[in-house]
Amino acid sequence: MKVFPEDLLYSHEHIWVRVDGDMATLGITDYAQESLGEVLSIEFPEIDAYVERDEAFGSIESTKAVVDLIACVSGTIVSVNEDINDDIGIINSDPHDTGWLVVIEMDDMQQLDDLLDAAGYHDFIMQQESE
Amino acid sequence: MIWRLIHYRPYSAFENMAIDEAIFRETIRRQKPPTLRFFGWRPSAVSIGYFQDLTKEINVDRCRLSGVDIVRRMTGGKAVYHRDEVTYSLAAGKSGKLFPDHIVGTYEKISLCLARGLSLLGIKAQLAKTNAGAPGGKPEMASACFSMPSGNELIVAGRKICGSAQTRTQGGFLQHGSLLLTFDPVETAALILSPRAPEPSEELRRSVTAVNDIIPAPVSAEDLSMILQKGFIAELGISLSEEPLTPDEKALSRQLVKKYESDAWNRERKRTTGKSG
Repeated sequence: MKVFPEDLLYSHEHIWVRVDGDMATLGITDYAQESLGEVLSIEFPEIDAYVERDEAFGSIESTKAVVDLIACVSGTIVSVNEDINDDIGIINSDPHDTGWLVVIEMDDMQQLDDLLDAAGYHDFIMQQESE
Repeated sequence: MIWRLIHYRPYSAFENMAIDEAIFRETIRRQKPPTLRFFGWRPSAVSIGYFQDLTKEINVDRCRLSGVDIVRRMTGGKAVYHRDEVTYSLAAGKSGKLFPDHIVGTYEKISLCLARGLSLLGIKAQLAKTNAGAPGGKPEMASACFSMPSGNELIVAGRKICGSAQTRTQGGFLQHGSLLLTFDPVETAALILSPRAPEPSEELRRSVTAVNDIIPAPVSAEDLSMILQKGFIAELGISLSEEPLTPDEKALSRQLVKKYESDAWNRERKRTTGKSG
């Protein structure tokens, strides 16, 4: 049973966003972690690095694939989840909360308008699975 | 749909990884149809997964003494000793609908193509249903790719015959994998470190098989790659058109060889020559 929390926004690249002022916390969705399988490693961006929307801000490895993490907003990386270094399993077990990945200080809040709400993301997943 | 085919030819480890990355990047950039490529490794080489730590996974001194090159792949997965094998690579953008937009489905589809090809040799290969990360996997030889089948990879009579690895970007995926013609568990265990395995070569001998070990008349690398092509054609209903690398791909691969030869990439995973994907 996939989870789609109502308080988050979602990208077509399976990244969720939690917005607090001009700060955006990003993580991978429950659907993404389920598709990836067991996550083994992650490559984070440097703090203060600038990331562009639609560009990779890191990569993640599961048992058999390395997958780019695609930013859905532009801005500066202000924080990465150091807890993942101690227990990478939280990306699989709690992707929408303690398994968050990075916090970005956004410089264009209008980019949020292009993201999906929970219902829209749910429909997108259903469409993908039916193809 | 017509795919590009690049026939079997051996290259160095560094050239192989550079060519694969160049094809992948150009496929996405120009939204080209998929490319299916077959190749060998000369000299023999050990490749490690993108996230692996070279010094923890590989007996570097032994490789040097044996004239075995070491290279880091852009794909995930574990270390592979490439000696007597056919390696396939498939680079595809998102424009086609032949492959699902997720990892496991892509593995499954490619595995079915390979199994179809192997069936022409009388080899009954099946998709593995276990997952390397699942409980019950064998952690002792976890450094070596062939030590454990993961979901949707190919096994014959319970032993792995094909190990594959994949990378995905926003624009598509690259998957490559090795089909062994013959297997040397002793040399593999000597090159790929396995500190927790008491008898690593025996573990590998039990869990890995090779094409020419299970068919009555050995096939060459060229023959095997021709047979595998037929599997892709039959399974997917595609056509293959043999075409060389484009001038842009050649230029890019020449540039990328420097990355794959460098200690910065192989030891520290630093991208010194542009960003992948």
